[in-house]
Amino acid sequence: MLVVAACVGYLIYSASGGSSEYYLTVSELRSHQQAGDVRVAGVVQNDVLRSDGGLHVRFTEKDSTDSVVVDYQGPLPDIFQPGITVVAEGKLGADGIFHARNVLAKCPSRFSTTPYTS
Amino acid sequence: MGGFSMLLSFWSGWRQNAVMIQVGRRAFYAAAAMVVLASVALEIALLTHDFSIAYVVEHTDLSTPTPLVAAGFYGGQEGSLLYWTLILCVLGSASLVASSRLGPRLAAYAAGILATIATFFLVVLVMVASPFDVLSVTPPDGLGLNPVLRDGGMLIHPPVVLAGFASFAIPFSFAAAALLAGRSDAAWIAHTRRFALLAWTLQSAGLVLGMWWAYHVLGWGGYWGWDPVENVALMPWLATTAYLHSSQVQEHRGRLRAWNFGLVITAFLLVVFGTFIVRSGVVPSVHTFAISAIGPWFFAFLFICVVFSGALLALRAGSLKSEKEPAAALSREGAFVLQNLLLVGVVAVVLWGTVLPLVSGMLGQERVVGASYYERAAGPLLVALLALMAAGPLLPWRRAGKEAARALRWPAVAALAVLVVMVAAGVRSLPALVTLPVAAGVAATCGFEFARAIVRGRRQGGWPIALAPLARRRRRYGAYLAHLGLVVVVAGIASSHFWQQEKDVTLSPGQQVSVGGYTLAYTGTEQRQLADHSELVASMSFGDRTLEPARATYAGLGGQSLTHVAISTTATADVYVILVGANADGSASFRVLVNPLVSWIWAGAIVIILGVVLGNLGERAPLPVPALVRVRQVS
Repeated sequence: MLVVAACVGYLIYSASGGSSEYYLTVSELRSHQQAGDVRVAGVVQNDVLRSDGGLHVRFTEKDSTDSVVVDYQGPLPDIFQPGITVVAEGKLGADGIFHARNVLAKCPSRFSTTPYTS
Repeated sequence: MGGFSMLLSFWSGWRQNAVMIQVGRRAFYAAAAMVVLASVALEIALLTHDFSIAYVVEHTDLSTPTPLVAAGFYGGQEGSLLYWTLILCVLGSASLVASSRLGPRLAAYAAGILATIATFFLVVLVMVASPFDVLSVTPPDGLGLNPVLRDGGMLIHPPVVLAGFASFAIPFSFAAAALLAGRSDAAWIAHTRRFALLAWTLQSAGLVLGMWWAYHVLGWGGYWGWDPVENVALMPWLATTAYLHSSQVQEHRGRLRAWNFGLVITAFLLVVFGTFIVRSGVVPSVHTFAISAIGPWFFAFLFICVVFSGALLALRAGSLKSEKEPAAALSREGAFVLQNLLLVGVVAVVLWGTVLPLVSGMLGQERVVGASYYERAAGPLLVALLALMAAGPLLPWRRAGKEAARALRWPAVAALAVLVVMVAAGVRSLPALVTLPVAAGVAATCGFEFARAIVRGRRQGGWPIALAPLARRRRRYGAYLAHLGLVVVVAGIASSHFWQQEKDVTLSPGQQVSVGGYTLAYTGTEQRQLADHSELVASMSFGDRTLEPARATYAGLGGQSLTHVAISTTATADVYVILVGANADGSASFRVLVNPLVSWIWAGAIVIILGVVLGNLGERAPLPVPALVRVRQVS
């Protein structure tokens, strides 16, 4: 029993050390030194530029601290549009642009549309 | 609605008095009947488009097809809680019908615990999340369902998952009741075996349906993303799987009593924990559900459950110790114990990955883990589990001797053969070279067991009754069938994981693309106008088939778009095409994926469920079952 527990503990430790990513705000991103991918959440601004039939996208992502230009190659989530919150996963390049490996959309709600107000 | 809780507060009254126990049980049936009535009322309100009720407005509209309107019952938060309660009450009543045989105290406590859980849900339903709130103004039409959910999957995935979770409250209630009554025998296991199996089957089906839905509808090319919402559904399933196996050790050998109590309690706590995580939004998830006031309620409930069960276990720990010497490591029970430890290990891995953002956020910088964490940490444990599946069934109870070692050569030979073939075919990925041969070993073990039974049957009386042992001991051979199904699932998951290929391309009409040996030719796009949305449809010819990946745009919902993937299933792989967008010059961009053997996952899952159902159909139960049918008639 102890052997199994030790193995599980070791696996968790080694795997989470090697492949966990930091969740940062945009301003933290600028001062973040460590190598490896990070995640940055922010609101998509009104400057979405699509090229190559939508496979290449560039947009500004803004949170409460600052904003950053995100560059991404690949299909975007369906609900992607200005005004929604996305989580970009990738690295800040030397050019000051955040090169995303993945862009995740945070659905406002999975099981309901906007609440009814009147 | 308030009347329900009133009825349920009866529960504190009873103790040893036989009449009061009977009254308590009847009060539970009464509450169940009222929950059924409330559910019928909500369903009628939905189907008759009663837009004076906020819940109806928020989840349906006049253009939604009727089956999806009906599905609105569990489509929203409030309704899904009512659905949970409904399942709990109906199955709970079924489990109570024959419970007096277990002895008055156990039966009474079980009823009390079930009633407490039901009361909690009813209080939440009445106080914070009532599906019957009336709007001050009645709007002419509802808001409708999110387009992602306008799909057949919506009709079946959520109710199955929720029912799987709700039904696990029954084994939990009886386990806690047995602890409370100071009973350490296996009576509660036998009594709730059907409910545990039902919960497990529903949870398995729910997980696979969720994967199927993600794969076919959400359209990102995969079926599992290690998202918290998926993780919290996986963890109870793992714990339930462990329990189904370890409970056999108690039934056969009288061991692992404390462990079984612990597992059932853990599985139920994981269900409550999952509901809390999903509904409270404390962990960043891709699909956040409607976050609402019920988060703190579930947290409080979780806290109470943890304290209550922990105290119970601690209180009874002394009387649960097995007097016998510890089990030999090399025996059937040893294999079960190891299997359980590994499954719990996987639960620990997934749990840590799920709560890491929470824990690290409290300690400083928030961190998250991605798929690679789960693969690296859980992967080796899952492979070890597979290896156990190959060896365990061949080991005898008590202690394994030389005979068992001889039996083990079959899976070993099968694994080696697959390994040699794979290396010869040029496979060099270590995880693939371990997983698939071990899976082949499991298949060999199951095949060996089937063959042995058939040979024995033939020797006894020739071919006509050769299959008789399989039917007579169907519980055992049903389990092997389920194991075989799992091998098929593992082959599908491993192949699509290790050998998935993808390519992003922009093509002009007439151009071709080749991915993983499959060639697709793009012919052009067209715009189609449908009732509630418009579609941009691209045509690609693939052999003699035409694939039509599309993007739908819902003008009524703020121009929200929705990807319709095109999937062509061949025997060895799925060709999966996502239309990313089209350009003014007629060219279009695609992501093309080739996912080997994905269809094996769905096929294997069907075999698993078939194995469980066949294995337990008509099995002589320790207690009569018509209870289930009787309650259905009441509803």
